Amino acid sequence: MMHQAPTAMTIAEAGPVRGQGFLSLQALTRRYHDFVAVDAVDLDVAKGEFVSLLGPSGCGKTTTLRMIAGLVPASDGRIVVAGRDITAMPTYRRDMGLVFQSYALFPHMTVAGNVAFGLEMRGLPKAEIRTRVAEAIAMVRLDGREDRKPGQLSGGQQQRVALARALVIRPSILLLDEPLSNLDAKLREEMRNEIRDIQRRLGTTAIFVTHDQDEALTMSDRVVVMNHGHIEQIGTPEDLYERPASPFVAAFVGRTNRLEGVQQGATVTVSGLAIEAPIPKSGPVEVLVRPHRVHVAPHGAPPPAGRNRVDGTIRRATYAGNVVQYEIDAGSVTLTAEAATAGIGGLIPVGTAVTAAWAVEDTLVFGRPS
Amino acid sequence: MSATATVAATAGSAADRPAGGGLVVALLLPIALVNLVGFLLPVFNLALISLQEVQASGAMTGGWSTAKWVSVVTDDFYWELLWNTIRTSLGITLATLLVSYPIALYLHRSSGLWRSVLLVMVISPLLLSAVVRTYGWIAILSDQGVVNSVLKAFGAAEPWRLMFNLTGVTIGLTEILMPYMILALVAGFGRLDPRAEEAAATLGASPFRVFRRIVLPLSVPGIALGSLLTFVLAVSSFITPKLLGGGRVFLLATEVYDQAIVTLDWPLAATLSMIVLVVFGIAIAVYGRLVRSIG
Repeated sequence: MMHQAPTAMTIAEAGPVRGQGFLSLQALTRRYHDFVAVDAVDLDVAKGEFVSLLGPSGCGKTTTLRMIAGLVPASDGRIVVAGRDITAMPTYRRDMGLVFQSYALFPHMTVAGNVAFGLEMRGLPKAEIRTRVAEAIAMVRLDGREDRKPGQLSGGQQQRVALARALVIRPSILLLDEPLSNLDAKLREEMRNEIRDIQRRLGTTAIFVTHDQDEALTMSDRVVVMNHGHIEQIGTPEDLYERPASPFVAAFVGRTNRLEGVQQGATVTVSGLAIEAPIPKSGPVEVLVRPHRVHVAPHGAPPPAGRNRVDGTIRRATYAGNVVQYEIDAGSVTLTAEAATAGIGGLIPVGTAVTAAWAVEDTLVFGRPS
Repeated sequence: MSATATVAATAGSAADRPAGGGLVVALLLPIALVNLVGFLLPVFNLALISLQEVQASGAMTGGWSTAKWVSVVTDDFYWELLWNTIRTSLGITLATLLVSYPIALYLHRSSGLWRSVLLVMVISPLLLSAVVRTYGWIAILSDQGVVNSVLKAFGAAEPWRLMFNLTGVTIGLTEILMPYMILALVAGFGRLDPRAEEAAATLGASPFRVFRRIVLPLSVPGIALGSLLTFVLAVSSFITPKLLGGGRVFLLATEVYDQAIVTLDWPLAATLSMIVLVVFGIAIAVYGRLVRSIG
């Protein structure tokens, strides 16, 4: 089946046409007795795209990945790669590279032996295996450590070996199952960039499972947010953050203020406060506002921008270097605001009476069951 | 022997560390004493007995003689006995390994209640004495036994000779030694990682190749430990070979028994026992080498 590779722009906006992706999951389902771990998931991924599956533990993201790899059989639905239905194909014929959270290196083989394994399974000539192993090891900057055993490497180095081992076979799809969770924070950031650079350079299609929203946002072309086996939203990192499809997505991707009220026309009433909503409707709603979109100014100072305004006092100020978080007590509600710091003396002291304000377009409103 | 070496080494390093050193020695002392009194001294005594002069009646004169050693080393009968013992024990070890490995792997991979049930099933034969189990095998393997009755019912003219030969001894000892092998294998499967097997599969290894390239090499420590244990137990067992061999299977251990109990030639029995000890020593050395080479 011929499929026009989408340009970067179309990927960023929508992803491939439904059912037409290089990787296409169609109503993919996994049941364990009465429990539905993955519930009719539809997803299309373009060739060369980097897509993250993001969600809390138990949301079905890892099960989805394992079904793509063939390690867990699908209860229902189809997995199609490059137009070919591989749902029933055994793992070892699928030609996918998988990187595990626990690295899963072969402890009895050297670094070179680990990387060579997949090529040996493909029966490639020895000389070619040698060249490609050397290339792959150089790619993950482990030259000179070819003859070490995995046990003699640090966690970051082991994960690089796992990456080289998965990529050296030039897999049709690279699957990454929380590969960075066992690394410390600094190394994690380094590996993020490294994985993304290598993936982009090789043009490998990648599916990345993570529960870390930072990782998902910074690395992915598109992010699939999952919850209870369902897809909550598929979109670019910007989509998810600015236009979350549900309160769950808004809360899971980034922090948010969450207020409950009742909407009538364009106005939401939250315990006596009137908040202007961007789209008129009526009924019980939840109002969500990102803390860093809430601007704060002490009374007397020029009022902050934004048509939605709340008066209150600063109850707590948490200084984090680049930003400061204010907890504002506005009587019936509490709001969190986040402001960039700007030199010494810019902080608003606790107890100060302030006005908090945000733009109508930064107000996210979701209907809620009454 | 190796146990005492370990004790000495540990005690030595403990002396380097002032804090807790006394405790380490205190904790190791009882087992060191038990080993000394219960094992090392008797072995030393055995060596002395093997050098005693003995009359045809079996009475030891109190004089010293290397006659038994000379006769054992120069007599082809004993060399054949030694070779027979090693070959039979290796065969039993291999058979035990082959039938135990799948069970051990299954046990390793099972979990929860089912695992406990399986473990009890594996261990429960040890609650019965080897003598009782051997009689059980006689009931199964003899000419009028279960197997031959079934064969006869299907029209076999002649019963299969499953007893009073090497076949019977091998079948009986294999079953009797299986629990030891299974437990040793399971204990040695610690390096097996289901994720590594999955990784191998994603890299294009068929289930057979996953087994050959990943599972098997990673279970070598368990195989080595189980084989050592089974081999040593096979070499030293004499009740089962005696009952199932019916006096027609000659092994070192049965010969030691005969010389000590029937012929009353204690020096010869002691000499043969020392040879068994040498075989054990070699087996442990081979095991040690293998384990070190894995790293």
